[in-house]
Amino acid sequence: MRIDAAAYACHWQCVTPAAKALFALAGIAAAWLARSPGTLAVLALLSMFATLAGARVPVRTYFAIAAAPLGFLLLSCLTMLATPAEGGGWRWAPELLPTVAHIALRSLAALAAVLGLVLTTPMPDLLALLRRLRVPELLLELMALCYRMLFVLRHAWDEGNTAQAARLGHSGLRQRWRSMGLLAGQMAVQVWQRAAALQLAADARGCRGSLRFLPSAFPHARRQLALSLLASTLLLAIALRDSA
Amino acid sequence: MMMPLIEMESVEHAFADGSIGLRGCTLSLAQGRRHALLGANGAGKTTLMLHLNGLLRPTAGHLRWRGQAYDYSRSGLAALRSGIGLVFQNPDRQLISALVEEDVAFGPLNLGLDDATVRARVATALDAVGLGGFGRRPVHHLSFGQKKRVCIAGVLAMEPEALLLDEPMAGLDAPMQAELEALLDRLATRGVTIVLSTHDVDFAYRWADQIHMMAAGRCIASTTAQELASHDEALRAAGQRLPQALALHAELAKRGLLPAGAAPRSVDAVLAALRAPTTHEQTGELQT
Repeated sequence: MRIDAAAYACHWQCVTPAAKALFALAGIAAAWLARSPGTLAVLALLSMFATLAGARVPVRTYFAIAAAPLGFLLLSCLTMLATPAEGGGWRWAPELLPTVAHIALRSLAALAAVLGLVLTTPMPDLLALLRRLRVPELLLELMALCYRMLFVLRHAWDEGNTAQAARLGHSGLRQRWRSMGLLAGQMAVQVWQRAAALQLAADARGCRGSLRFLPSAFPHARRQLALSLLASTLLLAIALRDSA
Repeated sequence: MMMPLIEMESVEHAFADGSIGLRGCTLSLAQGRRHALLGANGAGKTTLMLHLNGLLRPTAGHLRWRGQAYDYSRSGLAALRSGIGLVFQNPDRQLISALVEEDVAFGPLNLGLDDATVRARVATALDAVGLGGFGRRPVHHLSFGQKKRVCIAGVLAMEPEALLLDEPMAGLDAPMQAELEALLDRLATRGVTIVLSTHDVDFAYRWADQIHMMAAGRCIASTTAQELASHDEALRAAGQRLPQALALHAELAKRGLLPAGAAPRSVDAVLAALRAPTTHEQTGELQT
């Protein structure tokens, strides 16, 4: 939900998703090509800077969303630093620190590039981009419906949860588990009912089996793509200079 | 006499679980008029609307659109639904896309229109419901009333001749109800035939030209709003009382404070008539 809200509130909402995807792809490719830790750190910082300063995604939101993958990265690094000891058991391996740091920085640079895309591009724009890239329609329809239903069901879940709390359904651990089970069961029925209602509503508006969408219009797409190409070339140039 | 736009003749409907939705409903909906389906919860108003849009097929009886029997073939239904638009009661059950403009474009795209025409229709429909500039908003960030208006825009963009609205005022606060009423007035002025279901007798009396009363799946009476007072029994059968404006006017007329005859259509209009200095000399219908 936080990612969704950030994507709609950022300053790059009207930028064509193709330009943002190109920049993110260049960021990932540059992270893959670069060799030195310094260059990887610069690449990560550049992607982060573009998201925070360019798209004006709030710093707090950015790090709140990055916390989960960063935690995962930290855990992975710690795991890599622990190695089997000669006499059995485990030991810390400080000699692996440069390799682990290198992997961590590469992951960080790639993560910053991906975050730059997802935090600035609303889901419908991403779907429109995938449609232009000829991803199968059926898959896109499923994604579009799942995305819409996510919010409808979240709303229904919250309402049910509040109604249960109002009738002391959360007054103890046992009641809490029981309430959650009841709500989950009720949601299953709701999903079925809402799916039937959506089908009915789609039929009422002349749906002929497949969902059709209006392609989004981005009047400055050409200029935005040119700027993105320039920035992407810069990232790749930094990485290539390092790998040469 | 002008041919009705939609006719129902002895329509019956039984659901799969055996419960009865409609029992021998006969109804005639004139073109360009404001129609209100009045009845208590469970009277069959929604079932009737689903029949009008061709979403349900009658178990017995017939429906006619412009004098022709409903064609339930794929192409027939597509043609019917481009002429008769239906707005559902709960917007979350109708909105299918995540973006406002995408959802409003859904119907016109299904009509096979080109992108430029669809964009123009989306813009016009959003302007008509007062949501110009909301096109790129996600629907899950809108209020209930705004979602409802997006639903109406989604149907208006198909430019139907008849607009069906299932309980349009449900869940809306007073200012939003007033806004929606103004929108319906604008559509009616443009010649769109509007059919809405409600259980608010005061609203139906104030707004509608024709009132069709329903009870237990039956269409028990149809009348003009002006003649509603003479259908006291049907009103009671439909679980309704006399509109407050009618009751108030009758009482004031009995006391000689207002002239008898055609009553105003709202309490506000009764009060205006009462305050008017020439009230006692007035005859004929009072204006709303």
